[in-house]
Amino acid sequence: MTLLESAFNRSFRTLLGREILRFVRVWTQTLIPPLLTSLLYVVVFGVALGGRIREVDGVPYLQYILPGVALMSLITGAYMNTSTSVFDAKRERYIDDILISPMSDAQIALAYTLGGTLRGLIVGVGVFVVGMPFAGASVVNPVMLLLIAVTVAFTFSALGAVVGVVAARIDHVTFMTNVVIQPLAFLGGVFYSADMLPPALRVATLFNPIFYMVDAARYATLRASDTNPYPTLAIVAALAALAFAGAWWAINRGPNLRY
Amino acid sequence: MTGGGVPALRVEGLKKTYGNGLLALDGVSLEVEAGRFFGLLGPNGAGKTTLINSVVSLARPDSGKVTVFGKDAFAEYKEARRMIGVSPQEINLDKFLTVEESLLYHAGYYGVEKKKAKERAEELLERFALIDKRKARTSTLSGGMKRRVMFARALVHDPKVLFLDEPTAGVDVELRYSLWRYIRELNRGGMTILLTTHYLEEAEELCEEIALINGGRIAAQGTKDDLKEEYGARNVEEVYLRVVGHDVA
Ligand SMILES: Nc1ncnc2c1ncn2[C@@H]1O[C@H](COP(=O)(O)OP(=O)(O)OP(=O)(O)O)[C@@H](O)[C@H]1O
Ligand SMILES: [Mg+2]
Repeated sequence: MTLLESAFNRSFRTLLGREILRFVRVWTQTLIPPLLTSLLYVVVFGVALGGRIREVDGVPYLQYILPGVALMSLITGAYMNTSTSVFDAKRERYIDDILISPMSDAQIALAYTLGGTLRGLIVGVGVFVVGMPFAGASVVNPVMLLLIAVTVAFTFSALGAVVGVVAARIDHVTFMTNVVIQPLAFLGGVFYSADMLPPALRVATLFNPIFYMVDAARYATLRASDTNPYPTLAIVAALAALAFAGAWWAINRGPNLRY
Repeated sequence: MTGGGVPALRVEGLKKTYGNGLLALDGVSLEVEAGRFFGLLGPNGAGKTTLINSVVSLARPDSGKVTVFGKDAFAEYKEARRMIGVSPQEINLDKFLTVEESLLYHAGYYGVEKKKAKERAEELLERFALIDKRKARTSTLSGGMKRRVMFARALVHDPKVLFLDEPTAGVDVELRYSLWRYIRELNRGGMTILLTTHYLEEAEELCEEIALINGGRIAAQGTKDDLKEEYGARNVEEVYLRVVGHDVA
């Protein structure tokens, strides 16, 4: 058996399958609401306000915001999926059945992370595709865009695994969404260019990881970007690796998982 | 000890301190011969569940060695865990799955091939009278039905050692007897069984060999008959009371 075969063996595939089954089974809660929310953004910010802010960096406003709006729902979808799935499994202890199986901790972490990655991608791609006719945009570099989408979804899904393990109550999970991820996403240059900000805020933006992700996605879609994309891509990849290391640690050593 | 052959379970000097500083296992050593029906008895908080959890790494022991049919439970955990089935003390069924899926996904986690898993699940659903409920979500079942799904789940990957942690708590008389019959049959078929229970007549009825654990230490171990003789007792209950029952009125 090759290393790859043993890493993606039946045990792993079964857990990944279970993760997919879970979000598909509750699709009215996991897939539909983010699509609706994002469409509201497109309508409110693009159609209604778009008349006032005609262009940013020479791009029609709706086109300018669409990659970021899609990325925001991708991020929340990926994060929410894994954090709630892992948290529920831990709270009701059915994660024990997985922890005592012959799967390695890395496999468990990866299966949970990829499940959330897929949910994030479905939602993100959905928002993007639905928004495209309104924005009238086309994608300049679809391969790069997909790569960014996968990496970002993976990152936030892995982060979700960490939070799902560490959280003692469900409010810790939602706290992260409402108080950390949503604000960072809103301040991540989805709706404006960093150039439009006063200098202090512009500098602060540079410490926001979501800013780089939005920027890279926009670059791949429109080539209208605030920064050069290659360092950004490197940062995004490094964050993904870091987040996965966290997820692995959480399954292996996380509090209240293995006593 | 009759010796001969690799023991199903061998535990040596197992120590476990929980995060809050509580010493739950204080150097437990234990050997369960292959094919035995073994009872692990002891009062609440004695360390029975901790011992079982330590074998499958659900608890992380501080020190000690555990082997399952000669495989190191930590260094060779994949091989070791594949041979173990656990029916835990607390219900822990996946609420997103149906009864049948609970068995099939579990089999998948243990690497059992699909076709084989289907056949085995079918047999077990039949055996535990769960055929009517196969498509029901586990969260809609009664407590006793959930127990039955947990037994079936523990068996669906054909383990060589079965850990039953208080399997008959909260179970009706009929299910208790049918479970007894079934696990006896499994044991006769060669499966090693480690049972924890607070019903001493259950241990009397089923177990050949018994270990008594108290305060994280093995207080006595031997075949049922040897223990009775040693403690001048008529039954397991008397042995139990003599060994751990100081403060029991
Ligand atoms: N997660 C935990 N954190 C801290 N202490 C724990 C934890 N789990 C168990 N303990 C403690 O460890 C000791 C042994 O518990 P364990 O569950 O192994 O007992 P047991 O023999 O299975 O008891 P019972 O018959 O009540 O099921 C007890 O004092 C218990 O309070
Ligand atoms: Mg117990």
